[in-house]
Amino acid sequence: MAKLKSLVTEAEQIELASKLIRMDARLQVLESETQLSRERLIRLYKEIKLKSPPKGMLPFSTDWFMTWQPNIHGSLFMNFYDACIKATNMDDGTALVQAYKMYREQIAQLGLPEVLSMTRAWRLVKFVDAGMLTTTACKCCSGRYVVHTYDLVNDYECGLCKVPSRAGKTKQEAASRFFNEEALQPA
Amino acid sequence: MKAAHLIEQIREANLSYLLLAKQLINEDKDEAIIRLGIDENTADLLSQLTTAQVLRMASSELPMCSVRFDDPQVWKLASDQGKDRMISGMHASILMAGRSVTLNN
Repeated sequence: MAKLKSLVTEAEQIELASKLIRMDARLQVLESETQLSRERLIRLYKEIKLKSPPKGMLPFSTDWFMTWQPNIHGSLFMNFYDACIKATNMDDGTALVQAYKMYREQIAQLGLPEVLSMTRAWRLVKFVDAGMLTTTACKCCSGRYVVHTYDLVNDYECGLCKVPSRAGKTKQEAASRFFNEEALQPA
Repeated sequence: MKAAHLIEQIREANLSYLLLAKQLINEDKDEAIIRLGIDENTADLLSQLTTAQVLRMASSELPMCSVRFDDPQVWKLASDQGKDRMISGMHASILMAGRSVTLNN
């Protein structure tokens, strides 16, 4: 790991790391997005969260992003992330924070739960960078959605243009997560 | 009488828009570029305006901000009051987030 020489760069990285920690990022995200040492990151984590960082494996599946609700949330985040990367010269870490912030605001405004965690969002960006996932335009609404890179997507229809019949209804709680009460009442 | 009233409303909208834009840019320029869908040069221009200049610009009877999304689908979804309000809201958000990129380039 490159040792940091500049104090200013270090301060910027600590700032980025604290933003990520406040957005509930796991330690692995911090290690990948900053050049701070693991010890310092753990200290920073404890200082902000007042507890030790959680251990264990990260979510690693690309398939999670293909299921209906995660796909929609992931696609929304990815659209914001692309906007950040293309329209400004933010670096990757800042774009991640910015896009996640905008995703969160949008979700809160719609009254939906945060399906995509910061760590998942970061994984999504990594999967896209690694070429395992990509985005494609839906043939109906021409919005961009997350898909597997080698899927056949000539006739891709997104989960919102063509809502699967039992979408979000696997459990009663799951149903009320996406459909408001007014929608649940029989017409 | 009615025309004068309309022009007054346009001026007010101009002023609030310009002030909001300036505030957003001063707080975080990159974020403002995304949120307002403007390019970096425009952002720089706006942030350099003095209050007097903002007032003079806003006093034009020409609206300073225009409609950002011309896709009828976005309008339909964003204004949808149907029973799946959250789904259409989410759908509109995805489309709008995607459109804000193409607008910049």
